[in-house]
Amino acid sequence: MTVAELQAQLKERFGENLTRMEERAPGKLSLTVQPKVLRALAAYLFAETGCRYVVSAGLDRRESSRHFAVVHFFARDPDRIAIDVNVFLDDENPQLDSITPVVPAANWAEREFAELLGITPLGHPDPRKLVLADDWPPAMHPLRRDFPHDLRPEPAEGVAFQAKEPPPGATVVPIGPYFPVLKEPAYFRLFVEGEQVVGCDYRGFYVHRGIEKLGDSVLTYNQIPFLAERICGICGYVHSTCYCEATEEAAGIDVPPRARYIRTIMLELERIHSHLLWLGIAGHIIGFDTILMQAWRIREPVMWLCEQISGSRKNYGMNLVGGVRRDIPPELHAKIEEVLAKVEKEATAIVGVVAGDTPLVMRLKGVGPLSREDAIRLCVVGPTARGSGVDLDARRDHPCAAYGEVPPKVIVKEEGDALARTLVRLEELLESIALVRKALAHLPPGPLMATFEGEIIDGLEGTCFVEAPRGEDFHYVLTGKANRPLRWRVRAPSYPNLQAIPTMIQGQMVADVPIALGSIDPCFSCTERLETVDVRTGAVRVYGQEELLRMTREGRGCR
Amino acid sequence: MSLSLPMAIINVGLALLLSPLLEGIMRKLRARIHSRIGPPVLQPYYDLLKLLGKEDLRAGDPWLILAPILALASTLTASLLIPLGGEAPLAGAGDLLVFLYFVGISAVAVIFMGMLSWSPYGFLGSSREMMIYLTVEPVLFVTLITAAVHARSLKLYDLVLWNHAMGPQISMLIAAIAYFLVLQAQLGRLPFDIAEAETEIMGGPSVEIGGPKLALFRWSVQAKLLVFTALFVEVFFPWPKTFQFIPDLGLTLGKVLLIVLVVAGIDAVNPRLRIDQALVFFFGVTMVSLAGLALALVGS
Amino acid sequence: MLRSKLKEAWICLKAGRVTLPYPLGPAPALPEGFRGKLEVDAEACIGCGACANACPSRLIGLADQGYRRTLDFRLERCTYCARCAEVCPEGAVFLTPEFELATGSREDLHIHVEVYMATCRRCGRCYRPASPLDRLMLTGMRDGEGGVS
Repeated sequence: MTVAELQAQLKERFGENLTRMEERAPGKLSLTVQPKVLRALAAYLFAETGCRYVVSAGLDRRESSRHFAVVHFFARDPDRIAIDVNVFLDDENPQLDSITPVVPAANWAEREFAELLGITPLGHPDPRKLVLADDWPPAMHPLRRDFPHDLRPEPAEGVAFQAKEPPPGATVVPIGPYFPVLKEPAYFRLFVEGEQVVGCDYRGFYVHRGIEKLGDSVLTYNQIPFLAERICGICGYVHSTCYCEATEEAAGIDVPPRARYIRTIMLELERIHSHLLWLGIAGHIIGFDTILMQAWRIREPVMWLCEQISGSRKNYGMNLVGGVRRDIPPELHAKIEEVLAKVEKEATAIVGVVAGDTPLVMRLKGVGPLSREDAIRLCVVGPTARGSGVDLDARRDHPCAAYGEVPPKVIVKEEGDALARTLVRLEELLESIALVRKALAHLPPGPLMATFEGEIIDGLEGTCFVEAPRGEDFHYVLTGKANRPLRWRVRAPSYPNLQAIPTMIQGQMVADVPIALGSIDPCFSCTERLETVDVRTGAVRVYGQEELLRMTREGRGCR
Repeated sequence: MSLSLPMAIINVGLALLLSPLLEGIMRKLRARIHSRIGPPVLQPYYDLLKLLGKEDLRAGDPWLILAPILALASTLTASLLIPLGGEAPLAGAGDLLVFLYFVGISAVAVIFMGMLSWSPYGFLGSSREMMIYLTVEPVLFVTLITAAVHARSLKLYDLVLWNHAMGPQISMLIAAIAYFLVLQAQLGRLPFDIAEAETEIMGGPSVEIGGPKLALFRWSVQAKLLVFTALFVEVFFPWPKTFQFIPDLGLTLGKVLLIVLVVAGIDAVNPRLRIDQALVFFFGVTMVSLAGLALALVGS
Repeated sequence: MLRSKLKEAWICLKAGRVTLPYPLGPAPALPEGFRGKLEVDAEACIGCGACANACPSRLIGLADQGYRRTLDFRLERCTYCARCAEVCPEGAVFLTPEFELATGSREDLHIHVEVYMATCRRCGRCYRPASPLDRLMLTGMRDGEGGVS
């Protein structure tokens, strides 16, 4: 289906309720609809046209007298089309129909704009608190433009997140917020009968840091890539590239080819290190520390290489809007090839051994099953989706950087369990090595930065999809005044993947829950980005030892 | 039952003072397989000293303190029943059964520890420990009875003497294999450290203990290293035997070291199995041990 | 299975020990271009404030007191991105390979630079005192508005 065909279908179906429809960039269709047909349109796109839901963003556009707005993003991967559906809302009492009843994957995104912007999704099946702290007052919406970025409201009472109660006969096993398996805090409330999981509730966003708010208040366009890089400690470069490309699309900046290739090379190097890291973590979760140590040993030369290229093992700091800051000079090409050869040899050996390792396969086979239908219904991305037979990869479907010229081979497995996801990642690792070699061989000469005269005007929109090691990362930038965006929306791949966890662990044994969780490679820091803290003015409460001891003893768990 | 006090001191002394060294050697081998330097071989001693010096925080039930004490006491008592280079310090006509009894008490101590911790992780760990105990102890029983059937005695030292005199037998070899296959579970090592899975249930029964309680619990785990491997090498591989105490003790300890290295190697190259997978495995081993017993009953 | 276990053990043992005893031993060599602690060459600084404008952590504070511009670098916020070094027209700000920065006192991570910014009283053009001695001689001069430079 082409964009034109889609436009024709939408016009035929929704006619006069479509107030605006245009192709704002190649393959990116933007529409504005009347609020009353929103749910029908979402159902049409998701169920009938087979589009995948990406994320929703709430916008506070009251400054430019456009009231509040909500954008729902969809994608039709096989046709390489992205669709933004805009609705404009009344600024006194912004509310709109929730699309979650027809698009289950929209659950969190709608709760997010409800909490952070005060836009109410009517008919949402689970309108509980999602993001903000348990003592955050209910009427204060941090992402509104008139809310100062460093305001700390007085703690409120009685507005804490209410966890679901277990079904009769089941007990609660809490996984988190502190748990050895979780590298970051998260709370999975498992309802178990014996060793079997019969239900689950999730409370996350403990590492919510105020990144989107910082991005649209105190930081300028070229400062944001450095913040974006710190959204995640493993796939930071993905976020900074995604943000830069979204802004470049909005502003109409053409990035020079050499810079695009360098971005591709760094993205693939990041994928290599991330997949090896994940392999180690997965091994650690099932008690196989040897794989942890060995996978990280194999990964170490990649970190040294990135340090040589960019000056730092992680947080490469190489992106700016318009290009990259550092070159990969010819002297480094031999070093890159040397590291790639070593990693390839060792990774191939590990892959060969993993397949024959019976206890390891026993722990991964059949764990955390996600059927293809569920994967599509819940709009999961990345190896989680590709392990369940869903053929999607943002590098091929919505290419950024130089992926158009250096497309990857997409690896898909059908079984849908943790073993399938493991094999997808291992094969992707080897494919990434081949991609880096290809990109390096075809690295074109030229400048590293685009030239851009004047200022970026406000009111322009740009989006970008980048395939992070965990799946598709998505950024939306709406340009604003004073050299900074008006709105920056980040949706990391773990956002939809975490929402699929309850489905994946239903009926599984408790022992399998950590590895099921690990098999989606969750990155909580990526998922939870909002609200800022000013360290200098933070109030401090000191608890004495006696008080702390008393508090910990009184929390008796499930007695 | 007769008690030989000097030998008793030696047995308990070795169980207490030598076993942390065995643990240290295991950690060093594990580190070597991990391509890292690893802690010093004496590290477990430092750990125990440090833990014993910490404040004993109260958590869970007030009676929780009894559990690690019971675990260590029962393991040390079991060590008195092991022949180490000579006759066991505490020997008697049915000391095989007394030994199994004290092994059972140490398992029950771990189960109590999990229950009394009032934590869902403790309950899960205890239930796993129960399931493992119920499937592993029969193997221990059957393999030792196999030797007892041959030796016509329930005294552990008689089993040693008989096996030494009558040489390797097929049924004893099968029993040795069965015992070895559950040794990993007895010692709480991968792939069977299911009851104390750190990454799955936050340490299971030991989730709420710290300081001196943790020191005693860890010590009991280390003492088990010596007790179970010493019993294994004494009963199933008693050759050569000089019938002089010091050289025999040295030979036994040498064999113990070898077995400990093998256990550490298996521990380092395996992931943790799930409880149902482990139970299936143990059931298979029980069948093997019963086959050994059957062979023993028909005389070979 | 046994074969793959033995192969695994062989891979592990063949790799040998890869960890270094640092900090009990020497640190490994760093690549050129490593981004470590920020340093300022106060002589070269002209007080333009480009670094303060570019810094994503907003750690550089500028203040003017009469003819003196002070720049305060609070390096506890530094993320070593090197944007300041990139935009500095004089090369006065640069990143060194120093990375062992743990300290008990915040002042160790504060850099305070003062730049004398005044125009020539005769022709009105900006200038910088030619030598440290000249600068010493200027300190203590009354600036005509009741202040002391």
